[in-house]
Order: sequence, then structure tokens, then C-alpha cells
Amino acid sequence: MSAKDILLWVVLPYVTIAVFVTGTLWRYRYDKFGWTTRSSQLYERRLIRIASPIFHIGILAVVVGHVIGLLIPESWTDAARVSEDMYHLMAVGIGLVAGACTLFGVVMLIYRRRTTGPVFAATTRNDKTMYVFLVAAICLGLLTTLIGSGIVGDGYNYRETVSPWFRSIFLLNPQPELMAESLPSFQIHAVAGMLLFIAWPFTRLVHAFSAPLGYVFRPYVVYRDRGPHDSGSRPSRRGWERVG
Amino acid sequence: MTTVQGASSATDDFLVKAARFFTPGTVSSDLRTVTKVGGRDGDVFYRDRWSHDKVVRSTHGVNCTGSCSWKVYVKDGIITWETQQTDYPTVGPDSPEYEPRGCPRGAAFSWYTYSPTRVRYPYVRGVLLEAYRAAKAVTPDPVDAWAAVVGDPETRRRYQKARGKGGLVRASWPEVLEIIGAAHVHTAKVHGPDRIFGFSPIPAMSMASHAAGGRFISLMGGSMLSFYDWYCDLPVASPQVFGDQTDVPESADWWNASYLIMWGANVPVTRTPDAHFMAEARYRGQKVVTVSPDYADNTKFADEWMAPHPGTDGALAMAMGHVVLKEFFVERQVPRFVDYVKKYSDLPFLVTLREKQGSWVPDKFVTSADLGDEGEGAAFKTVVVDAATGRPHVPNGSLGFRFGEAGKGKWNLDLEGVDPALSLLGASGTEGVEVLLPRFDVGQEDGEGGGSHLRGVPAARLTTPAGERLVTTVFDLMLAQYGVPRDGLPGQWPAGYDDPEPYTPAWQEEITGVPAAMAERIGREFAQNAEDSGGRSMIILGAGTNHWFHSDTIYRTFLALVTLCGTQGVNGGGWAHYVGQEKCRPVTGWAQLAFGLDWQRPPRQMIGTGFWYVQTDQWRYDRLGADLLASPLGEGRFAGRSMIDTMAQSARSGWMPSYPQFDRNPLDLADEAEASGMPPADYVRDELKAGRLAFAIDDPDAEGNWPRVLTVWRANLLGSSSKGNEFFLRHLLGTSNAVRADEAPEGERPRDVTWRDEAPEGKLDLLVSIDFRMTSTGLFGDILLPAATWYEKHDLSTTDMHPYVHAFTPAIDPPWETRSDYDIFQALGRKVSDLAPGHLDVRKDLVSVPLLHDTPDEMAVPGGVVRDWRSGEVDLVPGLTAPKFVMVERDYTALGAKMSALGPLAAKAGMVTKGVPFSPTVEVEELASRNGVIPDGYAAGRPSLATDIHACETILALSGTTNGRLAVQGFRALEERTGMPLADLALEEEGKRITFPDTQARPVPVITSPEWSGSEHGGRRYTAFCINVERLKPWHTLTGRQHFFLDHDWMTEIGEGLPTFRPPLNLNRLDGDQHTGAGREVTVRYLTPHSKWSIHSEYQDNLFMLSLSRGGPEIWMSPQDAAAIGAKDNEWVEAYNRNGVVVARAIVSHRMPAGTVYMYHAKDRTVDVPKTETSGLRGGIHNSLTRLMIKPTHIVGGYAQLSFAFNYLGPTGNQRDEITVIRRRSQEVEY
Repeated sequence: MSAKDILLWVVLPYVTIAVFVTGTLWRYRYDKFGWTTRSSQLYERRLIRIASPIFHIGILAVVVGHVIGLLIPESWTDAARVSEDMYHLMAVGIGLVAGACTLFGVVMLIYRRRTTGPVFAATTRNDKTMYVFLVAAICLGLLTTLIGSGIVGDGYNYRETVSPWFRSIFLLNPQPELMAESLPSFQIHAVAGMLLFIAWPFTRLVHAFSAPLGYVFRPYVVYRDRGPHDSGSRPSRRGWERVG
Repeated sequence: MTTVQGASSATDDFLVKAARFFTPGTVSSDLRTVTKVGGRDGDVFYRDRWSHDKVVRSTHGVNCTGSCSWKVYVKDGIITWETQQTDYPTVGPDSPEYEPRGCPRGAAFSWYTYSPTRVRYPYVRGVLLEAYRAAKAVTPDPVDAWAAVVGDPETRRRYQKARGKGGLVRASWPEVLEIIGAAHVHTAKVHGPDRIFGFSPIPAMSMASHAAGGRFISLMGGSMLSFYDWYCDLPVASPQVFGDQTDVPESADWWNASYLIMWGANVPVTRTPDAHFMAEARYRGQKVVTVSPDYADNTKFADEWMAPHPGTDGALAMAMGHVVLKEFFVERQVPRFVDYVKKYSDLPFLVTLREKQGSWVPDKFVTSADLGDEGEGAAFKTVVVDAATGRPHVPNGSLGFRFGEAGKGKWNLDLEGVDPALSLLGASGTEGVEVLLPRFDVGQEDGEGGGSHLRGVPAARLTTPAGERLVTTVFDLMLAQYGVPRDGLPGQWPAGYDDPEPYTPAWQEEITGVPAAMAERIGREFAQNAEDSGGRSMIILGAGTNHWFHSDTIYRTFLALVTLCGTQGVNGGGWAHYVGQEKCRPVTGWAQLAFGLDWQRPPRQMIGTGFWYVQTDQWRYDRLGADLLASPLGEGRFAGRSMIDTMAQSARSGWMPSYPQFDRNPLDLADEAEASGMPPADYVRDELKAGRLAFAIDDPDAEGNWPRVLTVWRANLLGSSSKGNEFFLRHLLGTSNAVRADEAPEGERPRDVTWRDEAPEGKLDLLVSIDFRMTSTGLFGDILLPAATWYEKHDLSTTDMHPYVHAFTPAIDPPWETRSDYDIFQALGRKVSDLAPGHLDVRKDLVSVPLLHDTPDEMAVPGGVVRDWRSGEVDLVPGLTAPKFVMVERDYTALGAKMSALGPLAAKAGMVTKGVPFSPTVEVEELASRNGVIPDGYAAGRPSLATDIHACETILALSGTTNGRLAVQGFRALEERTGMPLADLALEEEGKRITFPDTQARPVPVITSPEWSGSEHGGRRYTAFCINVERLKPWHTLTGRQHFFLDHDWMTEIGEGLPTFRPPLNLNRLDGDQHTGAGREVTVRYLTPHSKWSIHSEYQDNLFMLSLSRGGPEIWMSPQDAAAIGAKDNEWVEAYNRNGVVVARAIVSHRMPAGTVYMYHAKDRTVDVPKTETSGLRGGIHNSLTRLMIKPTHIVGGYAQLSFAFNYLGPTGNQRDEITVIRRRSQEVEY
């Protein structure tokens, strides 16, 4: 157990969590008008209509895959009599499809962003940095899927090392040694993932928290009562006494 | 739609129902709404965004004729933005409204307030300031110091050569005012006040700001320079045909048209706030036709698009006229058309024929004098034939009835039961005779003169005191001219529409490229619609047809169409000319202030184009001799004469003003005249005849005859209107320039005007520019004064596009050290008063005044027969064969006091507009109460004009359009002259007085007034000449009717007595090949139309407009032309000809026809202008490739409607005939 392992697998995760949570709160508090994807649909419609759903559906599937792979202990699936082979088949099958969709989607989106003049003009340095983190995490993730499944190399059961380490962080009982012994590809992917989450609150990725899921369940017309103010919605200020 | 909703509704309901217990707030029972409490904290942001310190009414104040009223918002003391006002009074039911008015250009204006281009402090060229300070250290008197600066040739040249090259340094207001004041005093004292000039255009768009400087210049004795003709926006055909500067329908009247042709006018781009009336009228069934060589924006709205080659519009209109005359006057006589032209046009009037080359040519109108009448005005009473008796008849309404005692009550269009014969064909005692008519579609190989052909007219013999004359009617001449054959007449005639002879549809196709069938059909439809709708066929005209050398000719072919079809003076019909037109509706009051008429009369007013042509020495390069234009049927009147020779004749004959006037200081001349004991006019006459005194224009390059001081405000002369920009730089300013031309070779030089071998460089001692933003004029000026913007002062605005008068109101005080134009000139006036003692004090000034329109002066040249006193054809009689010479006393020490008070002459001597007198006695007293009076000094007791609000109140009080009492008074005076009821047009508003606060509260509709020819009476839409048509008030022309025929000697000489077609000037032949041989070059027609992203140079430098457009200088060219020089879109190209060079980016667009390029008007040199390869200098402006050319018929005078008035008649600064060579240049540019 080197200092490097402590740093990477204990300090970095907690720093990530701290930055992610406080950063998001800070952003919500001070930059509500900047809480946006800065949609570029106005500038280009054809490509985004295809690329955006592919990417987003893909990444949602990837999220579900991560939840299953990282949060659910191997013992639970064993208890459910899901064999290692079956689990792998499912994970690789769905994971590869989802990963491929995500990668294909993001590549198309980046291609669109680079080649459509107005869209590129509306791309900030922040966006470009974010894309590096995002694409790195996706690519490395795909690589780990390939390695873990044995399609490349010998196969690796990350549910014995990476997943318990991940859970140990949240159980406030970090077990860096588990991670230290996993494959370098998983280590790099994990670091890339943490860096992505560190960057998250400060990029357009925050829009994930305001996905308008409520629209589906909400009546079309929303009335907001003025509440306790006497006139209008502006808070009362110093000045002449109100008459009547 | 409904099925989709129905289908999804079940799903929606299910989802909402399922989630309702988890949804915060109360879901209504119908599942359509949810009510929540609170959550409105975010509202504050939006409420704050639209909370302002104040919102004021203002507008945009110089070149844009939109006159849109705007709300200007101020937040935390800062101007934030502007939005359109929406409170224009309604135009009534069944019509779209004016509001909202405004365009993206106007909405971008507030950017200027705090922009980098804002001029914040007074600036002086460093070299000049140092020289002045040094001189003042030696001679403390400012006037003496200025004399020392300009008296030293080396110093003078040093700062002149620095013009346009930076080095402007800040100075204090007291110091700059002192320098400018000293320069004015020194110039008046040493060279004469007529060497002082002021230039500021379009008073209608900010009257007080214009009047402030006009008043200063005029009271100094300097000369204001005209702008309407200089901008080539004046359609000279309007004075020629209507005797009116310009009068047109308001844009809401487009709605009333049922057939609308937009001819060279791109309404959505250049009249953006008004274009909706055109778009909306289409839904009312209006047919829209556009005529434009390129695929202009308005073509999108059009049912038909005619695309003639640039400059050939006249040919198309002649062919349409041919169809109208043939089908509606000859084959079938439409009663409405025939009645109209008999009553309201000169078509039934008799014209004599003169023998020429064994045939006959049209000569002069028959007048009462030809019938033996020796009474008052007989030579100006024109004659018709009574169809009933076959005898000549003198109808009312001609010029001969206008001024004398005997004409009272008879200056009207009432035919009193007489039916004038339109044609003499078939009448007893008539014979068919051959007439020779000039044509300009042939014989263009070696000159502009064209050829001639034979046609025939029916003629009768008329016995006159001078013997028997052959006469015919204008109508018969028109049919001959248009080539409409009738049986029994001699001559050569086209066999039909498909015979390519003048002026058939087939003939025009060869010239314009418009299919013959299309020209025929549109011509027929235009007339048919006028017949069916009672005259509601309209032609909107624009700069595309008005900026040519021969635009007067082009326009006369259009006006022939609208007049033949009886559309003039009818709502929804007539001509609608929108080219820099300015309708200063309260014109009478404005003129009093702007020319200081309340203190001194007459003012000096100079023709802009004439001034620049002479003073920038463009005449030295001009190879277009006057005789090149002469018709082959001419009398050789122009033989061997250059254009400036004709201008010199115009000046000495008193036709056009000419300042500087003589080769002597007019103050000294006045002293000499007084000393002689003779009446001043006699003294000047004798001096002129003896040759001891000469007109300055006879030797314009002599140092004593130079203009010395020029002040430019509300204008960007050197970045916008300076046609022949490089010549301005070389000769007027004396600095670096890119003139590439050689002077006219010997043999093509003036005959009468002195040619000096060494052309002067740097005539001006001082150029002052007053502006709120940095322009080329500021860059080249010696002194630059920081002005208030349009959101920082009080002023007034009107336009002809709508009938309202509304206000400018300051949103903030002028920031930094800026001041309003009004305050600047007030301060300057006081400064001159301070400096005058010992130098000027009280002086007499001998002012030469041209023969003026709308005065008895216009009867100075009977028959338009030209006689020159210098060649001994006639005696020199001031006011008849020469200018009038009038003595004016100028108390220079009281100049400041006069500036800031309303003088006594307004009430005492009265005010006259277009011949209508006004007497504002009551108003002057009222103004004393409203504005207050000056407590002491020279102007003690006079109503105050100390502030811009006082000026606005005075303008409104002294004009008929804004003061019902004066409107009624003017109509009463006109009733006396015409014998027709008129006062009822304004009677219901006699008690109405529009005050300045009224105009600040809301745009106020103006009152119908004799200052204009239309009527708003009863809330109707304004259209020109409806008073003439409905109330039988004559037009201000020779016959009192609309003219097809012009019989002035010079009109005959150049073959333009009747509407005709003249092609664009052949500059390739005139100036020679302009190719340099460097790289692949192409020669193209060079046009400078208006841009979508600027109004002149204004806004083209505005960040918003730069972002919306490509930005910077650009040349639009066709893919074919671009391919010819190997240039791709957005690449740098260089355009050059003998006048200069300009560098720009190419915009390659299929919108452009091959062989024509556009460089949008007024690309100033302040944005993205690199150095050129050709000259090595910074790349010029759009006008670096143009130059001035004078048309001699624009400078005739003293004859009926062809008489001078300021901005009414004068040579045009046309530029459309120009061609240029273009090549792709190195893409490495250096700034």
C-alpha cells in the first residue's frame, strides 16, 4: 500500500464527492441563469436529432449498468442464482451495445459541433474541456468492458475488487487495497470517472439534474400563487406606508 | 390536430392522474391545471430588467427618413436600449396602422452612446494647435493669431498635409471655440463672408439642430450648401414637370393603390418600417411589380419582376408609354384619361414649330403675347385651342396670372366651360407636317448626341404679330415622340409593337433585355387598372433610377405614365419618390430660423454639387464637354464649351447662385458701392460691365476665390456623400489622395473659365466637423467637436412617410464634454460677437441673389430664350439678365444676440413659402410669452431662442402645418389669387396649435397647409397634388399644369423637350480604357445602392450591424465576374478607375447580374480598411471611384418652374454611370 494508492483510492474519491456535492450546490445557488445546456438545436437540427437521442439513451443504459455492476454485491446475484457466465453475458451484451451507442453518439455530436460553423462558434473552452473528460471516461469504460468480459485479454471479474472498493467508500470504510490490486485499465477508468465528476458541477453536465421528467406527469397549466405579498411579487421595500 | 390531441389526451390524463398525489400543489379536477403557492422569487429578476429610471420619446435624427418614434430607456443613469413607440394616432378604419415603426438599424442606435467610436472631447489637429498657440503667444488677439497661422504658407500647408493622418489632440471648449470664431472673423474680414460655408443635410430629421448652424452661417453672411440635389436625391424631373421640389404620398397611401410598381426602390430594405403597407396591400388584391436589375429583396413580394439592364429604365417606360398612348388615347379614348390630361397637363397647349433641315422641329409654347396681347404677363400665358370654335383660347392658371394685379382670382385650373382640343388631327385648316425628333438609342459610337428621325404631326397656321406660325399641340408631339401612328400623318412610324423602332415594346427589348410582351402587358395593366380604379396605379421610385446622369430624363418617362393615366393627385395613385426625400413639414418656421430670415434677408444659399464640382477642381479632369450632350438638332449653343463654362454662364445670368461670388470681398465691394453714391446694384452692374469686377467662378483656382472655412455637422461628407472623394482630398483639403486621372488635355479645357497651369491644393483654411461619432470627415477635419447624440437633445422630426410631427427628448444629458449642435452654435455666435470688435463691427455686405422660383423672378427669361449679357446679346440688368445685387447690413458684434432671439422681420416683413405669404404677428407675441423675452442687450424684448426647446416652439408656431391659424391665413391668401375655395381644408383646425410638449407626449398629425400640395383634411391619407386636382389650384409651372413639354432653349439643345430615352453615359469611351494590365481584370458597371445594415455611413460602424452583415467594405459581384478574375467569395479584391481606388472583400452572389457590381453606399474608412496595392494608401471609400458630372439643363434658371430655389433645383451629384476595373489582389492585407 503506497501513498499513491491512498491518494488515488481514498483521498481522491472523497475529494470527488466533496467537490461534486458542494460544487453543485454552489452552482445552483449562484448561477441559476447559467444552469443550462445552451442548446444548439437552433443552429443545426439534422444531426442533433439523430445523435442526441442515441447518446443520451446510451449513457442512461451505461448508468444503469454501473449501478448494477458496482452497487449490487456478487453475493446477491449468486443468491438469485445468476451464474457468473450469465451475468457476464448480460453485462457484456448490454454494456457493449450501450457503450457503443454512447460513443457513436458523442462522436457524432462532436463532429457536428466541430463542422457546423454556428455551433462551433457557440462552443466554449469549458465545453471543449468537458468533452475531453467525457470521451476519456467513455472510451476507457468501453475498454474495461472488453477486458472484463475477456473479449480482450483473459477476462476479469471486477465484482471482486472494484465493486467492493466502490461500496466501501460510501460505507466510510475505504478499502484502497482492493483497488490497488485490480487491473490498470480499471484503475485508469476509475480515475477518469472521478475527474469527470469533479468537473461535472462546473460544466453543462449539470443539466442532468434538471431533466424535465416532471413534464410527463404534470398538467399543462401551472399557476403560482403570489403568496403572502401584498402587491405583486416584489418584496416590500422601505418607503411610503401602504394605504388601504 | 384534434385527433392527435384526442389520442394523446387519454395518455396525458392517465399520467397526470397517476402522479397527482406526488405533484406539489393542487391539481384541478379537470386535470388541466396545477396551482402552486410561492416559487416566484425569480420574478424579481425580470421585473428589474424592465424597471427603468425613465423612458423618453426620441428618434433618429439625420439621414433616415423613417422618422420613427422610439422609447429610449434609462437605467441607473445609463441609456440601456430602445423600443418602438406604439402610440401613433390611428389612420382610421379599414387600413393597417403605422405602429409599430422601427427597424433593426434604429434599434441598434443606443450602442453609439458609450461606443468606442463616440467623440467625447473637442479635438484639434496637433500641428494646427501648436501653430495657433505659438502665434497667439506673439499676437494675443485670436483673430490676428489665426491670420498669422494661415498667412504663413508653410504653416498652412503643414497642417493641411496632416489632414487624415491622425495627430488629433484634445483641447478645451474655450480654446476650440476661440479658434473657430477667429477663423470666421478673419475670413469675413479679409476674404469675405461668402468664403464661409456650412453643410448639414435633411433638416426634417432634426430641425433645431440643422437650423442652429444654418442660422450661424447665414447671419455671418456665409452660404449654406444644398444637399438634396448634391445627394442626387432631388429628382430634377419634379421641378421640371410639377414645379415642385418633391411631394409624394405617405406610406399608408400605398394601401390604397391597387397596382403598385416598385421601380428601383427596394422598399423592405430602405423603407423598412413602411414596407408592411405594401405587403399588406397584397392581401387586398394589390398587384405588385418590381423593376430591378438584381434580385432585390422586394422581388420576393412581387407578382412580376422586370430586370432591365442598369440605367435603361427609361427605355422600358417609353415602351409602356407607347402602349398606353396607343391603346388608351388613340385606338380608344378613355374619358377619364382624356379629361384628366386636358385639365391637369400641358397636353392640349399649343407649341410652335420651327423650320429645321427642310423639316420642322418643336419650338416654343404659344403665349398670349403671340396673339397680340400686350397685357401683364402675356408672355407667360400659354394657349390652347377651343374645340368648339377652333379658335385659340387663353385659359386661366398659367404663370402669367400668378403675380400681377390683373391675375388675381384667375390663377386656377378652371377651364370655365371651354373644352380644349387635345389634338389638331382632322380639324379644318390643319395639315400633316413632318417633324424631326432627336433619338439617343443610335449614334452613340462617337458621342452622346444620338441621331434623329422623321415623324408627323397635324399642324395649323396661326397668325401672330411676328408673322404666321405653324403650331401643333403637345399631345400631337407626344404621339409623334412615342411613335404612335395615326392615319394621314407623314413620317416614319413603327408598324406595330413587334417593330423594333422607337419606342415600341420590341424596341425596348433590345436595350433593356425585358421581354417585349412583358413590357406591353405591364404597361397595359397599369393603365387598365387606373381606368378601372379611378387612378389607383402607383409607381414607387428609388435611387436605382434616380442616381443616373440622365435621371431627369428617366423620371420624365415615369411621370408621363402616371400623368397620362390620371393618377397624380389621387389617393393610391401617382409617383411616390422615396430617395433621401425630406419633408420638413413645418417648413416656414424652420426656414425663418435656419437662414436667420427674422433678422436679415436675403441669405446666401449655394448649390451643393456646383460648389463641390468647382472647388474640388473636378472640372479640371472633366472630359464630358457640354457639346457632347447636344442633340443633332441643336443650334450649337454648347459648341466648344466645357461644363464649367455653362456653370459660369448660369452664375452670371443669375440662374443659379454662385458663391464665393466675386473676385473681391463683398464687404469691401459694399463700401465701394456706398462711396460711389450710386445704387448698389447699378454700381455692381457697371463694375461687371467694365470688367473691373469678375465672378469668382470665372477663375475658381485664383487664390482670392477659394472657399476658406467649412463647417460640417449632422453629416459625414468625406465618408459618405463626397462623390469624387479623392479630388476632395487633393484640391479642397490638400492632403494625400489616390487620384489616378490626368487633367483634361488642351482642346478639352474651358473656353471662358480661366485655366491655371498649377492646380491649387488645399483651398480650405479650416474644416470643422461636428459629430458624436468618428467619421472620415472627423479624421480629415482640422477641428472635431463632440456632439450630443439623438438621445441627448430636444428637437423635432417629420417625414413624408407619415403625417406626424414628434419630438426628440434627451434621455440623459450630453455625457463627457459633448454638447448639442444647438448649444455649440449658440456658443460660437457669442464667440464671434466677442471677437468682432475692431475687426468687423458693423459692415455692409453686397449679396448677389439668383432669380428665385415662386417669385416674379421666374418671368425673367420669356420663352426660355437664352441671351448672355457677356456676349452682348442682351444688356446686363440685375434681376433680369443677371443676379440681383442686394445690400445687407451685418452687425457682427450682435451676432450672438441675434442667434438667441427671434428677430423682428418674421412679423414685420412676413414669411413666404412657395409664394404663399404668412404673417405671424399673433404668434410672435405668443412666443414672447411662451419662451420668455431677452432681458437686455441688442435683442432686448425679443422672444428667446436661447434653448433648443425655444427653437422647437418657434418652428411649430410659425408654420401652417403645426399652427391652424397660419394654415387658414395662407389658404385665404391663396384663395384671393386662385379664386377657388381652399380655406375649408384647414378651417376646422384653425384654433389648433401644436406645441413642443404635444409632440413629446405623442406623435401629432399635422394640419393641412398651403405649404404642401396634399391634404390630410378629414383624416384622409396624404397624397401629393390633391389640392391641385380637387381644388383646381395650379401647379407652379409655366402652364400651371403638369408638363410633358419643356421649351427652354437648353432643353431643346440637348434634345429633351419631350420625354425620351437616353442611355447611361459611355464612360469607357469618355475616359478611355482603365485596365492596368496587372493580373486578370474585369470592367464592370459600378453601383452604390443602399445597404440593409446602414443608413449612409451611420450604423455600418455599429457593432450590431457589423455582426448582422459581413462587416467592413465589400463588393457584391456575380459568379461570372468573380470567375473572370479568379476571385472566390470573401476574398480581397481591388477596384480602381481614373477617380481612385478602393479595396474590399468580394461577396459572390447569384443575386447579381453579370457585368454589374454593388459597393454599398457609405462604407466609411473607419472599419476594416486596409491599404491598397494600387496607391499604397488606405483603401478609400465607395465614392473614391466616382466623380461629379454636371448636366447643363439642371443649371438653367429664371424661367417658370426652371428657376432656382434652395434644394429645389440644381445640378445633381449623380454617380451611377460610373464603371470600374476590378481584380483579385494579394490576400495579405496591411492596415
